[in-house]
Amino acid sequence: MIDHSLVISPLGAILFHLKQGFWLYAWPMMIGFVTILGYQALARIVAMGTAKWPAVFALASVVSMVSLFGWVTMVRGIGMIPLYGCGVGLASAMMSRVYAVTLALHPWLKMRVIRVIWRGDAAGISELKQALQARAAEGLETARAKV
Amino acid sequence: MKAKFLIALAFELTLRAQGLVPRPAPEFRIVEASGRTTFLSSYRGRVILLAFISTQCSHCQKASVVFQELAREFSGQLQVAEIAFDEGADTAAFEKRFGLTFPVGASSSDAAHSFLGIAAGTRLGTPQVVAIDRAGIIRAQSERLGTPMFQTPEYLRGLLKALLRKDPAR
Repeated sequence: MIDHSLVISPLGAILFHLKQGFWLYAWPMMIGFVTILGYQALARIVAMGTAKWPAVFALASVVSMVSLFGWVTMVRGIGMIPLYGCGVGLASAMMSRVYAVTLALHPWLKMRVIRVIWRGDAAGISELKQALQARAAEGLETARAKV
Repeated sequence: MKAKFLIALAFELTLRAQGLVPRPAPEFRIVEASGRTTFLSSYRGRVILLAFISTQCSHCQKASVVFQELAREFSGQLQVAEIAFDEGADTAAFEKRFGLTFPVGASSSDAAHSFLGIAAGTRLGTPQVVAIDRAGIIRAQSERLGTPMFQTPEYLRGLLKALLRKDPAR
């Protein structure tokens, strides 16, 4: 309650509402988005079966730490629920458009980086299929040689 | 049935009621841990930022740091004081822990409710911040369940500047 005859600069109130809006609405949405994005990307990298276990371990640790950090810092209340849901929905919708996530060897950096292959990327999908078939054949030959 | 509803409504409204602003600040005795007693009226002529707190409440602890910062910034024009109304509040330890240089007193919960114009025993959100102008008129007060905006330095700075601009005669 405030005496309305007082002429107060609106800056303080605007700043307060901006901060409150960020922590109550934008932050939960970002957390929902990043959590789903992280876990879905991780699941797809693991499903590819090409990543080495230390890379999978490191990625899984980072993703879980990021999501847990987000949940800890999140303002928990009724108001944050719809936008948290929006973040989760947005990330799920986006990931449904992704064909695969791989840890590809970067030609210049000479290190493995996350590569996203979208459903519309016919060349990328075909390249991935060939690589997987070649690897499967290579695995089969190795197995036969051992027998 | 109708009578029961009206009685319940009246009871609810009584519990929700709180002192309106602007209104003259009632007299209040601030008793510090050292035993030093100050009356609120002795601060007349300065803008007063009075907060009713619970020493265990984390919002009150954070707000106290903000009040200390404002007390330094508006030194000479502003008087900050806090009243702890939680049972067994150790105000001396509270002052020391947060480096507070303004008076921190203790009072009963009923006295705090009475000052705020709220029915005794009603649940309060802490801190309850009250801004009093130089003429001793309460110009701003937290809502019964607390007003988080009254704990931010940006907003309080604007409020205090507005109070300091106000002619004390009006």
